[in-house]
Amino acid sequence: MDGLLLFIAGLIASSAVAMVVGISFALILPGIERKVQARIQQRVGPPILTPGWWSVLKFMYKSKVEPIAQMPAFYKSLVLIGIVIVSFLLLFVTPYWWSILGWGSILGIAGLLKLEEVLYVLMGSQSQSIMSSSMPVPDLAKGSKFIGIRREFNEQHSAERSLKMMAIGSIPLYLGLVVPFIAAGSGMLNAVVSLQNPDYIVSNWMAIPIPSKPLLFTIPGAMGAIVYFLGFVMLMNEKPFSILKAKIDVIEGGVLEYASSLRAAYYLMRNLLMFSLSSIFNTLFLGIPFDPFMPSMMLINMLLSLIPVVSMATLAAFSPILTFRQIYPAAMGISAFGVLAMILASSL
Amino acid sequence: MIQEKQTEKKVIEKELSFGPVHPALVEPYRMRFFVNDEIVEDCEININMAYRGIEKLFEGLPVEKALLIAERVCGICSNVHAWNSVRVIEGGLGIEVPQRANYIRVLVHEFQRITSHLFFFGHAFEVLGHETFAMRSFLLRENFMDLLQYVGGNRVMPSVPIIGGIRPRADLNESLKKVITERVDAFESKYKDYLNRAVEDPLVMSRLSGIGYLTKEDALKFYATGPTGRSSGWNYDLRREMKEYKPFDYDVIVLNEGDTKARVVSRALEVLESLKIIRQIVKGLPEGPVVNRSWVAKKMDYTVSYVETYRGELMHSYGLDQGGFIRNYKIRTPTITNLAAMEQACIGDHVTEAILTIASCDPCLTCCTRTEVIANGKSRIMSDAEIIQRFGWRK
Amino acid sequence: MTLKSIARKNAVHVMLFYSGGCNGCDIEVVNAMLSPRYDLEQYKVMLTWNPREADVLLVPGVVTWQMLEPLKKIYAMIPDPKAVVAVGACAVNGNVYKNLVGDIGVNEEIFAPVETVIPVDVKIPGCPPRPEDIIMGAVKGLPKLMGAP
Repeated sequence: MDGLLLFIAGLIASSAVAMVVGISFALILPGIERKVQARIQQRVGPPILTPGWWSVLKFMYKSKVEPIAQMPAFYKSLVLIGIVIVSFLLLFVTPYWWSILGWGSILGIAGLLKLEEVLYVLMGSQSQSIMSSSMPVPDLAKGSKFIGIRREFNEQHSAERSLKMMAIGSIPLYLGLVVPFIAAGSGMLNAVVSLQNPDYIVSNWMAIPIPSKPLLFTIPGAMGAIVYFLGFVMLMNEKPFSILKAKIDVIEGGVLEYASSLRAAYYLMRNLLMFSLSSIFNTLFLGIPFDPFMPSMMLINMLLSLIPVVSMATLAAFSPILTFRQIYPAAMGISAFGVLAMILASSL
Repeated sequence: MIQEKQTEKKVIEKELSFGPVHPALVEPYRMRFFVNDEIVEDCEININMAYRGIEKLFEGLPVEKALLIAERVCGICSNVHAWNSVRVIEGGLGIEVPQRANYIRVLVHEFQRITSHLFFFGHAFEVLGHETFAMRSFLLRENFMDLLQYVGGNRVMPSVPIIGGIRPRADLNESLKKVITERVDAFESKYKDYLNRAVEDPLVMSRLSGIGYLTKEDALKFYATGPTGRSSGWNYDLRREMKEYKPFDYDVIVLNEGDTKARVVSRALEVLESLKIIRQIVKGLPEGPVVNRSWVAKKMDYTVSYVETYRGELMHSYGLDQGGFIRNYKIRTPTITNLAAMEQACIGDHVTEAILTIASCDPCLTCCTRTEVIANGKSRIMSDAEIIQRFGWRK
Repeated sequence: MTLKSIARKNAVHVMLFYSGGCNGCDIEVVNAMLSPRYDLEQYKVMLTWNPREADVLLVPGVVTWQMLEPLKKIYAMIPDPKAVVAVGACAVNGNVYKNLVGDIGVNEEIFAPVETVIPVDVKIPGCPPRPEDIIMGAVKGLPKLMGAP
């Protein structure tokens, strides 16, 4: 009984530490992202804390407004649900959660990611911003060829796009996610980490266990990492795969109507998702988990999670928005590459 | 018979409308796309949002004052509106313009052509989603904004032409000529690097090519002038017939592809031709006076003047009454026909690409908004205020 | 200085509203935002296209009849505290469209200055103002934002 109580206490403590560190670090990432892009574009760019921390704080201090949505209460709850999902995504890869009900496994991670994607569909179908068809300008003509056609909000169009992205765009991420588990021959995170970093399982909290054979430096692992990274960009809806919130037609997609504190919550959700996915990358491909009770591992994980973020910012700065004309073949090619990585990984 | 009609009718799933406040637009207009899934089946563009009643403002003003309004018709092509406005009275009253003034007018015109085209690249790349190239073209544009400021005194409204010549302050001296030569040389190498980067980028080219086809027949049917028509294979440039351009040697860029890529590339190549003209002007600038002030405003018949601007053909026309006041000012800008052509060209594209196609004709709407009512065989212009008072706001 | 005002000072989101001017000011604003030479982002000012996200509304130019309702509506959509910056001579006093009229006397097509439509906090004169002036104007709206409850 004492063992169980101790375990629960440890679970709560580690989750609290992970959340506090995770959120404070996640809100620095957008600043770094923006700064990298700005330097590529030959300008100074905003200070690192501005797009993350200060923006979130500022939105929290703005007055509350009711969003224009079909079901405002539901719409408002969506972003909070998103934060819960992303927080669990971060927590599931911390070692205390690995042993609970098999959540620290491929199923837990993939399931949560899928839920996260569904949120964009729901947000898009709810939001009814003034920026598209409800703009009060006289635009209906008596002599028009098209009278009585359903006028759709941009966000609804964005929801349709996110359905398509769910169907094809997210496959690479899941394929990349599966590669380390296949290499380990198990569905549990524990096995993946102990394959790459055997010292980590046995060392105490002060130690600095260096992964002895990280998967990233094997051929299938490297291929899987590339596929995972492209899937990460697709899931983050960043350029070049940002069709569902392409600025030039649907402006921001379903999140258009979040104002003041809800917008702060959306910023938090997005950045925490970015950090969680980079952290998962380090856990899976390098064997360095985000362990709140082992400072060395936590710090190395946080530092290395800058790599996917900086690469994503660089990719975004050098690429236009792709339309479905390019996304379908691109996603198919990347998926094929991922399948090849899976086949190679099974022979490791 | 009835069944046949039903089968011909297109089934449209939904309508998407963008604007007038939207990141893809630099001016207020509204795009309504009728789409099935992602494919644009038809398109309507509403362009009346920037109606300021400019043509009525001219009525009864002395010609010198009219120049101020004419320059503020549009903020991108301010110089050409001012130039064309003075060309009307110069043609109508036979005012002699010194050759040096003509050279400097062409110089400022070509400066603004370059800034306008670079702004177009910035806008097109912004619509493409490529922020880096957009910013780079804005950075290149600053070179010529500076030169405009050195010559005219203002970045956007240089206000160089006046009736009978140019303002004496805009006259070129030796040091300014040297600055222009240096800037143009530095700009050319940077600009060529930029072009090579853009053309070699596979992602950008895959977005640009294969969309927004405008055939030569359609271009002629809609009178799509300027680079929009020339990139569809219509070999027509009014500069060939303008006497101001007679001394200069340059090529007219004509491309036959007619897609969005051709419309971007033709503008990119036109910038290089403009640089050629600028070099020739600086080299062969004739000596002499820059303004001929020996004219009086008197009764003038309704006179028309055409100029090839950056987007196509621009028409200004007015008459003067006995006191020398302006009567019946008319402006016809190229965008109104170009946009109509784009409405046709964007059919069949994806929604994101259709916006790019419309942006690729370089729309400039601030000057081309008016409503014409044709009743009982007579036509008259109706203002927005009248329309709204008569028909009310949209519910 | 409270955390509230520090946060407001350090992140300003600006929205641009094309109200129907001649385009010159619009392009100078875009220039100030996008050109690496001026780069508004280094002063912690970010461009947005969503009224729900914005703090400062830039209105360049006169307001035409058709843009009247959208302007009022978008102004109402911005959550408090908010500031409005009138950019350019047209937005400040109507420029040629209001003051240089011929026979018609009063130009009924436009609403100028912008003050007659929505409350304005900062005015930037110039036809068009230079990008430096626009940066200064966007930053001058800050004290109002910072001091708001």
